[in-house]
Amino acid sequence: MQALQELARKLLTDKTANVVIGWGQGPRGPRPIFVTQPEHADRLIFDTRCVHNLATYLNPRRAHLVPFVKKAVVVKPCDARAVAGLIRETQVKREDVVLIGMRCGGVVRDSDMDGKLTEATVSPRCMDCPDREPKLADHLMGEEASAPPKGKGPDMIAKLDAMSPAERWEFWQKELERCVRCHACREVCPMCFCDRCIADKSMPQWIESSPHPRGNLSWQMTRVMHMAGRCVGCGECTRACPVDIPLGLILRKMTQTVEERFGYRVSDDPTVPAPMGAYRLDDKQEFIL
Amino acid sequence: MSRIGVFVCHCGENIGRTVDCAAVAQACGELPGVVHSIDYKYMCSDPGQALVKQAVAEHKLDGVVVAACSPHMHEKTFRKTVANAGINRFLCEMANVREHCSWIHEDREEATQKAIDLTRFIVEKIKHNVPLEPIKIPVTRRALVIGGGIAGIQAALDIADGGCEVVLVEKEPSIGGHMSQLSETFPTLDCSQCILTPRMVEVYQHPRIKLMAYAEVDKVEGYIGNFTVTVRQKARGVNASLCNGCGECQKVCPNKKIASEFDAGLGKRPAIYVPFPQAVPNIPVIDRANCALYKGRARNAKKDACKKCEEVCGRKAIDFDQQDTFLTEKVGAIVVATGYQLYNIKKEQDKEAISGYGEYGYGTIPDVIDGLQFERLASASGPTGGKILRPSDGKEPKTVVFLQCIGSRDPAKGIDYCSKICCMYIAKHTMLYHHKVHGGQAIVFFMDIRAGGKGYDEFTRRAIEENDALYVRGRVSKMYRDGDVIKVLGFDTLSGEPMHIDADMVVLATAMRPQPGIESLAQKLSVSYDRFGFINEAHPKLRPVETNTAGVYVAGACQAPRDIPDAVAMASATASKILGLFSASELEREPLVAQVDQGTCAGCFHCVRVCPYGAVEHFEVKDRKGNLIKTVAQVNKGVCQGCGTCQANCPSKSVELQGFTDQQIFAAINAF
Repeated sequence: MQALQELARKLLTDKTANVVIGWGQGPRGPRPIFVTQPEHADRLIFDTRCVHNLATYLNPRRAHLVPFVKKAVVVKPCDARAVAGLIRETQVKREDVVLIGMRCGGVVRDSDMDGKLTEATVSPRCMDCPDREPKLADHLMGEEASAPPKGKGPDMIAKLDAMSPAERWEFWQKELERCVRCHACREVCPMCFCDRCIADKSMPQWIESSPHPRGNLSWQMTRVMHMAGRCVGCGECTRACPVDIPLGLILRKMTQTVEERFGYRVSDDPTVPAPMGAYRLDDKQEFIL
Repeated sequence: MSRIGVFVCHCGENIGRTVDCAAVAQACGELPGVVHSIDYKYMCSDPGQALVKQAVAEHKLDGVVVAACSPHMHEKTFRKTVANAGINRFLCEMANVREHCSWIHEDREEATQKAIDLTRFIVEKIKHNVPLEPIKIPVTRRALVIGGGIAGIQAALDIADGGCEVVLVEKEPSIGGHMSQLSETFPTLDCSQCILTPRMVEVYQHPRIKLMAYAEVDKVEGYIGNFTVTVRQKARGVNASLCNGCGECQKVCPNKKIASEFDAGLGKRPAIYVPFPQAVPNIPVIDRANCALYKGRARNAKKDACKKCEEVCGRKAIDFDQQDTFLTEKVGAIVVATGYQLYNIKKEQDKEAISGYGEYGYGTIPDVIDGLQFERLASASGPTGGKILRPSDGKEPKTVVFLQCIGSRDPAKGIDYCSKICCMYIAKHTMLYHHKVHGGQAIVFFMDIRAGGKGYDEFTRRAIEENDALYVRGRVSKMYRDGDVIKVLGFDTLSGEPMHIDADMVVLATAMRPQPGIESLAQKLSVSYDRFGFINEAHPKLRPVETNTAGVYVAGACQAPRDIPDAVAMASATASKILGLFSASELEREPLVAQVDQGTCAGCFHCVRVCPYGAVEHFEVKDRKGNLIKTVAQVNKGVCQGCGTCQANCPSKSVELQGFTDQQIFAAINAF
């Protein structure tokens, strides 16, 4: 923790960065903070409750942060994948961002929990995360981390795969019925950076905006399609959802499908294009009739 | 409010038989925005088009929907008609009630309802159509011809004689192609080289032809009128500007035991060689796989093994260190004339779908040769000096069996099509054999004799009637070597008798296949090909030498099995097409291209990465003071082919395809 604070102080003092985006203590556990003064660097903390994906603040849509230009951001491995995604899709210039990488052995489900990492408290996002340290980072901190505890409960993907299409349809209909279209999933997602989301397009309006089952389904399916090969698996959408829709589940399934079909897994290497935005002659095409 | 006219075509009986066209016209007449709706027997005919024109003027139409055949067929026709009537041609759309309806349905009532639905979708779509203006693009009046066989040579000469520059790329060391290997040509029996070599020289000396032999097309970018082609000039190991073709190097080369490609493996050549004496250009190539020096270098030998060719070369033209070079050529049109290869009967085939002939010993019997090898035996310039001598022991064969349709017309072997030239060249072979080996007997096993063409049937009759060729209708089921002879077991299906022949030599008329590597070339050119690898023409009857990519044309045996007259005719046809294209300095293109909404584009550049044509560029949006606000995508209208991949891929739906905008498609879908 001290090393992190010292580094932040140094970066702000020598103007390598004009803001350090990290976590600080809030009234209900850690929360994102923006440190602009070297003397405030000691407010930075990092532990298993630092669940937020701070890469979302690099998104050029966050107009209040754009003037800082040079930004340092504290990242876990999943957050680093998001930064790589933003670089890959030309939203962030690598030279404008200093990545303070934290070794990570998993986080708890939410920041207001006790930080103890157990089978019961580990966030589902950490269960298939293969990365213990962000390779893209400029500075790497924290102790060597061991793999996060395996979470309890049934393997939902296997359960969904076992269902008939009709059952699966019913399952998702029921889950998505609750959606209130608050778009928190979109706002929190580091990879949702469009100036005008397709959900806001009105000429023509592809996705109905009021919260009823048909529009909800179009919205979430469109979002999942847009995330194919881009979702970094940070699980922030699931955490942000006020009505507990298992958004991470459908995204994990999509990630699995992309890996099977295109041999692609989202990494923190920004030079490898995602299959959604790549044209390859050897792309599989046997499903085209 | 729109003023739309609907015109329902009967297409004679084609649509009218299954669709009640009058009912469609009546139903569409009641749609909101439709002010005029009629049906007519042949809308594309002169009076039909006159009806459209008249209605545009009379009813002040601002949209015309023609419910008829596929837009592929007549969209251009009707767009021209409305343009002549004074409204923008992109305010005319077609509803396909033929291919999508009448041809595929039987129930008249349901088909009529579907035709009404299809027309209604287009009526809703056209309400969102906007006038569009054609795009004008410049044309580079220079052509690229890929392949220097007879088709490529003819195309190059015709284009160059028409006044435009040509780049001719040939992958072999010399142009000439397969025709240069032939002895005589059917149906006139004139000597192949005698008619070909003057053409080769003409190419070489033509002021407007740039010949690049021993070169291959590496990369193709751009679009009709504006291609940029990268050609890889393979290293000959000989400096072409110094060499005068004296041939001394070939004489001193110690390795003279290499099977000659030109002699179809029957003759030998040295490691430094020109394929044949009349080669154009007459500059040797070092075969690096067989040259002792390169083999030594590959093994990291300390000293070069042999430099005899360099020592003897008076012009100091040998350059062992020569590397492949890449040249960029700007051209406006491309002719693909890569020709063919022969199917082989061996066990190992380059494609899984194709299998060899176990019943003929998978090519292990030495005196079983293919048609091209027989050509070399019969040729005066061949390894035997024109004497028919069999490869195994050099004896004159007294009985020669010719087998037609080897591979061809045999789905079990993986090739369904007829190779077209074999009937004729086998007839020619029997004649040449009869002329050269007195008392010899030629026996031909055939499935059918296909001799359609001027003087062709007369030619095969002559082989049978005047040259004593014995034609047996049937197939050979087995062939094996028995001492000095080849036992040929066949069946005469006309007499119903089995045939057992002791042959001295067997000639197989193996199938014609496209050249290896044609698929990768086709992909570079974005042209489609069939499952055998033959390049697809744009239309089998009406656009036989065009491909599905504008500006790329096809000639000769890379499109389908072709004989020399066909290949030459096709080549001249491509030249005529290209000279037509080059006759104007600017080209008009349909404006159905993608357009980016720069206000909403987030600059993720998925579109740049997915565009198969490289048509999307970065564009910097600046304020009045020149400060960069953001970088967004922009489509180069000249390059865009309107495929819509970027439109489908754009996450924020900031790309629209003109003529197929979201608004238009949405309206059509919502009309359902």
